[in-house]
Amino acid sequence: MTVIAAVCVIVTALIFLGVAYIAWRNPVMFKMGLRNIPRRKAQTALIIIGLMLSTLIMSAAFGTGDTLTTSVTSEVYAILGEADEWVSWDSEKVPAPEDEQVIPLEEVEEWQAMFADDPDIEAIVPFQRETLPVQNLRTRLNDPSARIVAFREQDAAALGGLTDTDGNPVDLDGNDIAINEDLAEEIDAQVGDSVILLYQGEPVPFTVTALVPTGVLSGAVDPNASNGGAVDFEALSALTGRGNNADAVFISNTGGVKDGLDRSDAVMAKFEPLLEDTPYQVVALKKDLVEFAELIGAGFTTIFVVFGLFSIAAGVLLIFLIFVMLAAERKPEMGMARAVGAKRRQLVESFLAEGMGYDLGSAAVGLVAGMGVTLAMVSIIKAFAGDNLGLELSVTFTARSLIVAFCLGVIATFLVIFIASWRASRLNITAAIRDLPETRPIDPEASTWKGYMRGAINGIAALALVIGASFMLMGPIGSALGVPLIVVGLISPFFYILRGTDFAAPRHLRHGERLPRWPLIFGILLPVVGWVLYGIAILAVRFTRDRKPTTLPRWMAIAAFVVWPFALIVALLQTWKARIAWSAGISTAFGLAGIAMTVGGLDLNSAFLALLGLSLIGLWIAITLRYFGIAERVAFTTVSAAILVLWYLPSSVTEPVLGELNGDIEMFFLSGLVMVTCGVFIVVYNADILLPAIARLGSRFGRIVPAIKTGVAYPLTSRFRTGMTMLMIGLIMFSLVMMSTINSNFSKLFLNDDSKGGFDAMLLVNPNNPVDDLPAELEEAGVDTSPITGIGELRIAYASETEIENRDGFEDEDGIVQPFSRAKIAGADEGFLRNSELVLKARAEGYATDREVWDALLANPTYAVVPAVITAEPDPFGPPGGDLIRLEPFGEVFEPFTLELRDPATGTTTTLTVIGQLKEAADTFLGLGTPDFQAAIITSEQVVAETLPGSRGQFFYLDLAEGTDSEEYAKALESGLIAASAESLQGLLDEQLSLQTGFLLVFQGFMGLGLIVGIAALAVIASRAVVERRQQIGMLRAIGYQRSMVALSFLFESGFIAVSGILLGLGLGLSLSWVLFTSGEFGEDVSDISFTVPWLQLTIICGIAFVASMVMTFLPARAASKVPVAEALRYE
Amino acid sequence: MSSDERVVGDVVIEARDVKKTYDTGTVQVHALRGVSLEVRKGEMVAIMGPSGCGKTTLLNSLSGLDDFDSGLVLINGEDISRMPDDKKTEFRARDMGFVFQTYNLLPVLTAAENVELPLIVSGTRPKEAREKALSSLDRVQLRGWANQRPSQLSGGQRQRVTIARALVNRPAIVWADEPTGALDSTTATEIMDLIVELNSTDHQTCVIVTHDPKVAARCNRTIHMADGLIVREDSQAQMAAVAAGH
Repeated sequence: MTVIAAVCVIVTALIFLGVAYIAWRNPVMFKMGLRNIPRRKAQTALIIIGLMLSTLIMSAAFGTGDTLTTSVTSEVYAILGEADEWVSWDSEKVPAPEDEQVIPLEEVEEWQAMFADDPDIEAIVPFQRETLPVQNLRTRLNDPSARIVAFREQDAAALGGLTDTDGNPVDLDGNDIAINEDLAEEIDAQVGDSVILLYQGEPVPFTVTALVPTGVLSGAVDPNASNGGAVDFEALSALTGRGNNADAVFISNTGGVKDGLDRSDAVMAKFEPLLEDTPYQVVALKKDLVEFAELIGAGFTTIFVVFGLFSIAAGVLLIFLIFVMLAAERKPEMGMARAVGAKRRQLVESFLAEGMGYDLGSAAVGLVAGMGVTLAMVSIIKAFAGDNLGLELSVTFTARSLIVAFCLGVIATFLVIFIASWRASRLNITAAIRDLPETRPIDPEASTWKGYMRGAINGIAALALVIGASFMLMGPIGSALGVPLIVVGLISPFFYILRGTDFAAPRHLRHGERLPRWPLIFGILLPVVGWVLYGIAILAVRFTRDRKPTTLPRWMAIAAFVVWPFALIVALLQTWKARIAWSAGISTAFGLAGIAMTVGGLDLNSAFLALLGLSLIGLWIAITLRYFGIAERVAFTTVSAAILVLWYLPSSVTEPVLGELNGDIEMFFLSGLVMVTCGVFIVVYNADILLPAIARLGSRFGRIVPAIKTGVAYPLTSRFRTGMTMLMIGLIMFSLVMMSTINSNFSKLFLNDDSKGGFDAMLLVNPNNPVDDLPAELEEAGVDTSPITGIGELRIAYASETEIENRDGFEDEDGIVQPFSRAKIAGADEGFLRNSELVLKARAEGYATDREVWDALLANPTYAVVPAVITAEPDPFGPPGGDLIRLEPFGEVFEPFTLELRDPATGTTTTLTVIGQLKEAADTFLGLGTPDFQAAIITSEQVVAETLPGSRGQFFYLDLAEGTDSEEYAKALESGLIAASAESLQGLLDEQLSLQTGFLLVFQGFMGLGLIVGIAALAVIASRAVVERRQQIGMLRAIGYQRSMVALSFLFESGFIAVSGILLGLGLGLSLSWVLFTSGEFGEDVSDISFTVPWLQLTIICGIAFVASMVMTFLPARAASKVPVAEALRYE
Repeated sequence: MSSDERVVGDVVIEARDVKKTYDTGTVQVHALRGVSLEVRKGEMVAIMGPSGCGKTTLLNSLSGLDDFDSGLVLINGEDISRMPDDKKTEFRARDMGFVFQTYNLLPVLTAAENVELPLIVSGTRPKEAREKALSSLDRVQLRGWANQRPSQLSGGQRQRVTIARALVNRPAIVWADEPTGALDSTTATEIMDLIVELNSTDHQTCVIVTHDPKVAARCNRTIHMADGLIVREDSQAQMAAVAAGH
């Protein structure tokens, strides 16, 4: 990021310097450009709104990332305080029962002595830790899982000692307990309150002597489980019987809470060899958590930037459109300027001056607006996520992010303005002065192979950098072609400058110009340039091939020196001033790049490259067909339709031909861009077919027919403007529709009534206080058990406590195939298996119903059912799967197979026979309300008890009588059972949905920002049209158009574009979602769900887009209707 | 049929003491200082005068395209200054046709679509409107160009389309503002032949603003303006002499 920031700043500085140079060298043209800014204030405002979008999106994306990074790291620093590393038993290295996984204090004291004078280590602090239920006897409120810790006073002193919330030192003796702020809030505790800790079912009384800040010294290590307290070391030791042993050891590095982090690597380097031959391990806890926080922040930034790409793309189109329209408006002025001697370059400079005025203004406004958007997004996340986020979000912006966002906005806008200005400067002086359409001189080579080849050679030379980079993807042969092409790309600008000079003309046409001096100067600089090219080539290989060559073949370096003179010769051989078919040339260049991308993509299994390449080849074919005289409508419609079909093809169809292609989140953006572009081509080239039908329909409404006629005729004539605007709106609508539809279908898949598994409430029991007979204990606690109609129990062994056969040989994160993976195992009791209504998606042969599978588990304790996630591709957005078990997908009916389950602590094994696979909703059930949110392999309680005796997770699921309020009953259960927390399953599902809805809203709102671009484009076009067509409006009024008809005509015009864009986005988004869902693109398991369309959401989205478009067009439409007729007729 | 044979009937356009002043904020321009005139049914009247004398302002005021400050304009006996905008617009659509120097065709519509526009505005059914538009184009010898857009036509052809559009709904009055101003002399003559011929056959009243004495010579009479006032009227014979002198 720092490198990106530096590059951005340098490029921005170069832009500013360039513009300053223009202002100094050519103040008149510069001022001429600047003076245009205040000419039309409303238009300027619209332009700035349109231009600011890219900066806004960048700053909002970076701001959200910063906020998350800072919020998580602040939480990490606040909780861990001075503790930097953590030493604990390594159960993978030396398996042992949990109560034996301790570190003797004598050993810790040896370390303390060893590192007493170490400059990197300030303190080594052993402690005991236990998760226990706590109840406040005064308030009767309890917490079933408080983290209780105990330090020796002399050790804790090294971490600053335990202090209360006012900063006073706290001494703990006997049965004193200091409660941290989070736990105090949970059980409403005050100093002096009597509390009990429950251990092995026995209550132990304690007195609250202090309220202390939440941190490591008061039990909090995990931000998601921070409720805790501290007690006297002897007291906890006596309670748990752990004696002179510690559960773990903190190491505090020299320096403060944040500075200490710098020494983490040094400390790790000292402790790792020390612990090598011991059963212990050292973890750089704080460093890992801070890095994780940064990873989360960067992940969110990436997601928001990718989702914002649609809006950025729309913004870029708008900038281009605005400048093309400004150029059209100023055509007579520019023609006159050219006529009196201004050069093309000066026109470009004038436009650049004006553009930079807008650019700077919009980047500044965008930056501030982006900060506002971040604030809004964080507020929405907070409002919907509530406590479920487990994090206090505080909005933060780092200077670096703001600088990068500002610079990226300036750079993107500058590039587009530059291209648009260059395009605008290429005008025919006479036509411009008379404001006539540009005429093209007759090209004798038009539609001939000679002309095409000339265009192609020039196009390839102009875009040689792009093609060269693409060829680098194709392996050694590609690289051999790619490097010279990159070199050609770097020298081709000189080649074009040379072509434009008189020097290149035939002798009799020259006006005495000599060979320009710059090639000579360049010749002297050539060696320097050569080495730069050499460096670029190395970088290109690094980036594209993911290899790190330290050197390149000598011939590549030589090519860098040799190719340049060839270009000079090519320039001299060019026919002077022969027309170049640029569209054919550029498309050929992209077509070649497309071939390279396709081949490279197939080689690298990259869906992005392969499909982008094929689409570019399609564009090449269309433009080539047009060049050779095939009607535009036919060429573009056919090719666009073919590309659309290609994008719709599910991988099951493409895989046999193209092989397996992997795509990630970027495919979402690319599919939208390509498909909507194709859709726009089809609409703008074919909508006129609908005109007679529209006219017939309109004739039923009498006098609006003429308004419809002109309203549709204008957009279809200005295909460029119309297509661009339609594309902007279509892109955003596509992304919104896809997101809504996919989210709603996934919600339906994961969060539905099946996710309750036939139960209503759940109880999570404290592992130190297992419940043997739930009904008896409830009755003893005075809880009314009459609403309970069924009870099921799951005994849980968490993934860290188990090993399961890696049957299908998946690699772990390090690329190694381990014999065993990890899995969460749930041992179900009879009650659970009898009451379970968990739905299966696959059953072993011989089992006709889900019930038969559950009954088989009842009869055969070693039978098992695996979760849906076990055969799913890892979630690209989710956390890494680590060494969790994965299996190859199997069919809906499969041969039973076995999996070996092993206890890493004891080595005991059991062979499980898999006879079913859960549906996704059932996975959700197993993750709901659990500390790890993971699904599990379900087998019998007996297997878990015998094979994994150290497992201590215990869950009860209750089926309640109809009419029972599960939320209220869960509260009643929790107040009765100190050692358990109870939740309503419906409540948990609702929380999940609310969280999901909140994030969806934020994403949709963020992407919806792009709609502003589309709508601004409509308003700009409409405002411009009022000016452009003033005389025509006068004529229409003269021949009988009422004011309302003129206004209606403008509204129809915008409406036609808006509705086309909206329908395109809607149609393509819905159809692609449908194809993805039903073709198994999201996994075979997803394909059998009935695809639903969130009509309400989509109607709201489309409605907002349409109404906003109409509102924005209303003002220009009204202005058009008020144009005075006689004055308009005279307007020129 | 010569222009002398054209039928001239009752008064259809009557202006009494029409005044109009343009206020630019700093300067007041008296475009019409009290113009009174009468034009009879079927008559072709030319309005001539130097630039800025108020010719176009008079045409706009008489046709209802522009408002005037005081005076009275009666078209077929109806006071157009009292008409609300909607009614005036309807009146124009039904009873008037316009021909402008700069053609003012919609570039996005074909010739036939441009011609049928006034009919569609008046509520004529699309099929009938198209038939009438084609017939009107036939009269100006452009039937074969019906599906071309204005940019694909020459200047003379465009003006013919404009005339076809002005005549398609058989208006009582045709207003023409410099109809030959942008054309070469041969094409201008052809266009004037066409206007005269149509006037003779359809008996429409034509008011033509022009600089060209040859155009004025084709009209029944010519009204000369200067400084916002009518200063003289010439008969067709007088104008013919002037044109011959040119």
